[in-house]
Amino acid sequence: MPETAIITENLTRRFGDLTAVDGVDLRVAAGQFFGFLGPNGAGKSTTIKMLTGLLVPTSGRIELLGIDFAANPIDAKRQIGVVPEGMGLFERLTGTEYLHFVGRMYGLDRATTEHRSEELLEFMQLADRPKTMIADYSHGMQKKLALAAAVIHGPRILFLDEPFEGVDALAAGALKALLARMTERGVTIFLTSHVLEIVERLCSHVAIIHKGRLVAQGSLEELRAGIGAESSKTTLEQIFLSIVGQDGAEQPQLEELSWLM
Amino acid sequence: MADVEHKTALTEQIYLVMRLRWRILRNGLRQKSKRLDLLGLIISGTFATILVLGLCFAFYEGARAFLLNDRPGWVALLFWGIFVFWQGFPFFTAGFAANFEFRSLLRFPLKLSALYIIGLSYGLADFSAIASICWLIAMVAGAASANPVVLPSMIFVALLFLWMNLTMERLIGSWLERLLARRRSREIFFAVFILCMVSLQFIGPALQRYGVVLRPIVQRIQPYLSPLPPSLAGHAVAAAVQGHLNGVFLSMTGLGVYTLVFNGLLWLRFSAQYRGEEMNETAAPKATPLLRRKSANRSGHETWQLLPPAVAAILRKEISYLTRNGFSFFTLLMPPLLVILFSIQFTGTHPTIGGRGISAETFFPAMMAYLTLVLMSPAYNSFAFEGRGIQTYFTAPLRFQDVFLGKNLLIIVVLTLELGLCIIVVAYRVGLPSPPRFFATLAAMTFAIVGQLVIANWSSISFPRKLAFGQMRGQRQSGMAALLAFGIQILLAGMSTLIFLMGRWTRNDWLPTEIFVVLAAAAIGGYFASLEALTAFAEKKKEILIETLCR
Repeated sequence: MPETAIITENLTRRFGDLTAVDGVDLRVAAGQFFGFLGPNGAGKSTTIKMLTGLLVPTSGRIELLGIDFAANPIDAKRQIGVVPEGMGLFERLTGTEYLHFVGRMYGLDRATTEHRSEELLEFMQLADRPKTMIADYSHGMQKKLALAAAVIHGPRILFLDEPFEGVDALAAGALKALLARMTERGVTIFLTSHVLEIVERLCSHVAIIHKGRLVAQGSLEELRAGIGAESSKTTLEQIFLSIVGQDGAEQPQLEELSWLM
Repeated sequence: MADVEHKTALTEQIYLVMRLRWRILRNGLRQKSKRLDLLGLIISGTFATILVLGLCFAFYEGARAFLLNDRPGWVALLFWGIFVFWQGFPFFTAGFAANFEFRSLLRFPLKLSALYIIGLSYGLADFSAIASICWLIAMVAGAASANPVVLPSMIFVALLFLWMNLTMERLIGSWLERLLARRRSREIFFAVFILCMVSLQFIGPALQRYGVVLRPIVQRIQPYLSPLPPSLAGHAVAAAVQGHLNGVFLSMTGLGVYTLVFNGLLWLRFSAQYRGEEMNETAAPKATPLLRRKSANRSGHETWQLLPPAVAAILRKEISYLTRNGFSFFTLLMPPLLVILFSIQFTGTHPTIGGRGISAETFFPAMMAYLTLVLMSPAYNSFAFEGRGIQTYFTAPLRFQDVFLGKNLLIIVVLTLELGLCIIVVAYRVGLPSPPRFFATLAAMTFAIVGQLVIANWSSISFPRKLAFGQMRGQRQSGMAALLAFGIQILLAGMSTLIFLMGRWTRNDWLPTEIFVVLAAAAIGGYFASLEALTAFAEKKKEILIETLCR
């Protein structure tokens, strides 16, 4: 098993004149719980789309578990599970039908697909609505189903775009425990989230992207050292604001809203 | 205390809502697709305007003729026409999608009276209302030109009738909102609509055959209709012409009572909404007690062993989507009904062309060509209902050709079943053509269907358009895809006609069959050869495809 799960070299994506991702060099070790952070519009989703095959890079290279993504996309996709932005569900199937569909698409045999679907639906507390279509699920239920679909084939890298958004506290706790157990078994988890507390609690390593460029990467301790924080109590939020807010452009000018205060 | 210094006036609130709608329309036009939609709307609007103006002339002439020919009571028929259209048209078109936009206004400090007026004005913007108002104006003008004395009463009746229709349509709309809040009831409703539309096609032939029998029944029902609003409006006009003021007063009072009752009920409905009651609220689906279900097939036995697993999974998913999509599923009822309809109109005992019916030799290939045209058109936008699920095809470890194979397989199965059924209906109704013509048609259909699949797959990637599941309202295919489908069908029909004529010119009945078999074989070979190229093309176009369908 390669020591590095995800490598990107000079990964760039342009949309016309706009460079959404600009020469990103990422290295994520196998078995890491990796948080990918950045302000709105920084290039997080574009990066994750390129890493999962939803978007073609303008230039640069992606390697997943030693497999060159551009040269062997199908082999690379077999190793990964994805909860994409918007979840990518077929809304007119039931939860069971959707998991059966995804399992078969990833090449699982029928018996394994059915067995795993049943277990996943019960774990995600979705088994009591066997006839309900996904379109009629709540947002949180859809999120749980999307996560179940992402793990049904036992991926070695899991890409999660805002996985806890809209999920209730009880389910979120169970999901976090599941993800933590997966990393113990060597699965690499690549997660984006706006909730910095979640990232701080779950992730051992973090990268921060800002205006398309990678501005920080490393363990929390390394990031603390990077900003010159002396205390280990410096939170990820403080680190994030210190790095991203350096140019001052994002600092809201509260004096302008004096009528509200 | 919020910084609200004065209450917003009723007129200002209405003006703000109007401005909001205008801005939504204007901002929407920044997108190319919306501009194309507007263009489509202008073109269809032009046709609709021609239709409305043509009928304006009919209503004008109708009202004028009834009064000049001393038959003022017949004006009620015109009121009935408007009434049925005004209440029926939105019932079938607007009803398929609940309109939540109007309710979203409730979060603003809007007065109940403003909400009521805005609600009514939404009704006035419907096509049915605009058309009906035009026809009412035409009727008033027609009646006035025949007898100027009735003009004041005619204007009064028309205004009262307009108000009654407007409130009644809004009231039915608000009741329907609750009924149609559930997807299942929307789909059942839609099935009824499709059946009604198909049944309408049979009215002409049925009247031809049973018109004489039906007339006395209609005459017997007529008196029971007199207390209803359109008849009351007609009676009021007739009484005004005859100078019976009591009759005018009585009929208008009746019409006024209807208007007041509908207004009162609508006011109550809006008041409930204003207080925060959700009119579209339905009971939540019941959860089934958690039972560990035993899988039906734990042995690992594959149902469709001949197919690769990914193709089988996509085929299964496509079958589920077809059976759950009311619009697509119920349109499958159309082909056999169309065969019956056309066989009534063009063959047998009701000849309409040249004094004799069309022979089976011509009817069979023409009917099959038409049905192929109808059934193939959805294939030109085959990702229409995928929504965000389209991402799964690109994140899963599969080649895109498997997606096409799964989708095309369903189309072929559906076409085979439908056309097989239609051949049986044609054989029963008209009879089958000679063996050379029969087999030539089958080979031609194979060529046309398989050949079109290649182009339809390309079109699905090049011109995707997201369509709402199980809905008809606002559903329009991509203009380019529709144009391409039409062009290809014309080309194939022209080619096929030429090949059939070659058989006649060479006096070799089996020549068309031989040519079509060769073409069908070439089309099948071309289809499989195209899959590789289409996979590469899908990879190239995936960003546009995902962006369009996930929007």
